[in-house]
Amino acid sequence: MSTRDDIEFSGVSKTINTRHLFQHLQLNLNPGECVVLSGDNGEGKTTLLRIMSGLLHPDDGRCQYNGTQHTWQRARSWLLKNVVYLHQAPYLFDASVEANITYGLRRHGMYRKAARAMATDALQRAGLAHLQQRSGKQLSGGERQRVALLRAWVLSPRLLLLDEPVASMDERARHTTLFLVRWLLQDGVSLVITAHEPRLFAPLADRHIRLQHGELNAAPPLTPVPSSYTEQMIPTPEGYHDGQRFQ
Amino acid sequence: MDHLQNAFVRALHLLFSGDRDLWTIVGISFSVSMRAIVIATPFAMVIAFLMAMTTFPGKRTLVMIIHTLQAFPAVVVGLTVYMVLSRQGPLGTWHLLFTETAMIIGQVILCMPLMISMSHATFAGADKRAWETARTLGANLVRATLTFFYEFRFALLAAFIAGFARIIAEVGSSVMVGGNIYNYTRNIPTAIALETSKGEFSQGVALGLILLLLAFGLNVFLHLMQREQTRPV
Repeated sequence: MSTRDDIEFSGVSKTINTRHLFQHLQLNLNPGECVVLSGDNGEGKTTLLRIMSGLLHPDDGRCQYNGTQHTWQRARSWLLKNVVYLHQAPYLFDASVEANITYGLRRHGMYRKAARAMATDALQRAGLAHLQQRSGKQLSGGERQRVALLRAWVLSPRLLLLDEPVASMDERARHTTLFLVRWLLQDGVSLVITAHEPRLFAPLADRHIRLQHGELNAAPPLTPVPSSYTEQMIPTPEGYHDGQRFQ
Repeated sequence: MDHLQNAFVRALHLLFSGDRDLWTIVGISFSVSMRAIVIATPFAMVIAFLMAMTTFPGKRTLVMIIHTLQAFPAVVVGLTVYMVLSRQGPLGTWHLLFTETAMIIGQVILCMPLMISMSHATFAGADKRAWETARTLGANLVRATLTFFYEFRFALLAAFIAGFARIIAEVGSSVMVGGNIYNYTRNIPTAIALETSKGEFSQGVALGLILLLLAFGLNVFLHLMQREQTRPV
């Protein structure tokens, strides 16, 4: 297991159809840090996340991890193994929720039986055990988002990239989702969250940055949105303690 | 009318009496076409996948060519394979003409464009998040590709069945490169053509019924699989 140190992206540039989305971007992420990335439509937030996940090649860029700087070509396979990207509407495979959660575990070398046990445990602790045998295709938007977060969480990634994770969710679903996001932070996972409504993430955000005209700039600290749901109202998964990993 | 009725009755008799000649023809047909489709499927899927997921110069032209090749007449495929495999052809020394292997080569060439086109349409319209999700969860290229295939397996199954239907009933290529040799390369369509030319309709009708039953069976299978997809896991 690699140590949890900073991940730094530098000199990241991307041009799409002759349009320079951004040039020489730099972003440093500390372990367990939650960065909220805001910006207008079309500024390239999603493109930046897809580059950071290793799914999309930048025109230029470097990535530093484990204390060493790497070219993009070398960093890509590491990013694909250690960074998880969640689409705005997460994709669940045409299989049971349990199979969806074990998918990544199996790809990381875990045996089927152990992966199943871990998925069962995770679902119980997240209060989603009732979904275990349901088809991933038949869940509501909020349920999909939570299952996808759980699927990412069991992998214990170094960095999780969430693209508008609570878009078009009602307030209760939003709070339950934010609760799962907090679990990830407590495990030392670094988070980058894009949001049109960044204030929704005020309770979690360590930093707020804005992508505008191809540049990343520090943005003012976020002030929480008044909510009818307090954190105490969010169901606490049985048996879960801060920082505890599944055994 | 009696003529048709008699042919039909005799055909049923042939089918249910276990006529050896008839079932040998059926066996050759299925053996050749199954091998052809098994060889063609992975190539067709991978080519279609690469065409849908990558961009390269001349991609549109390639798509147009493959679409055009769907209309490639079986007899022209037969002619081409015949010329390649005949004694004067580049592969003449392989002595493959008038063998099942030659029929398989012809059938692979026949079904590939159709299978590539249908699979390409599936992949081009498929939700690419499936691929990206597999990759971001740690799947390597091969595993992510297999996951992607699995996610769209029912549409791909339709391409498989269409390809099989195209070759099991083709006569032009098989008769030219197989030679319609009794007990060796005579398959259902070439036997129907031969028996009809001899005025022996009963065996032709029996073999035609088998082809119809096959088409019906494949459709039922596809329908059942697609219904399975909509059921909760």
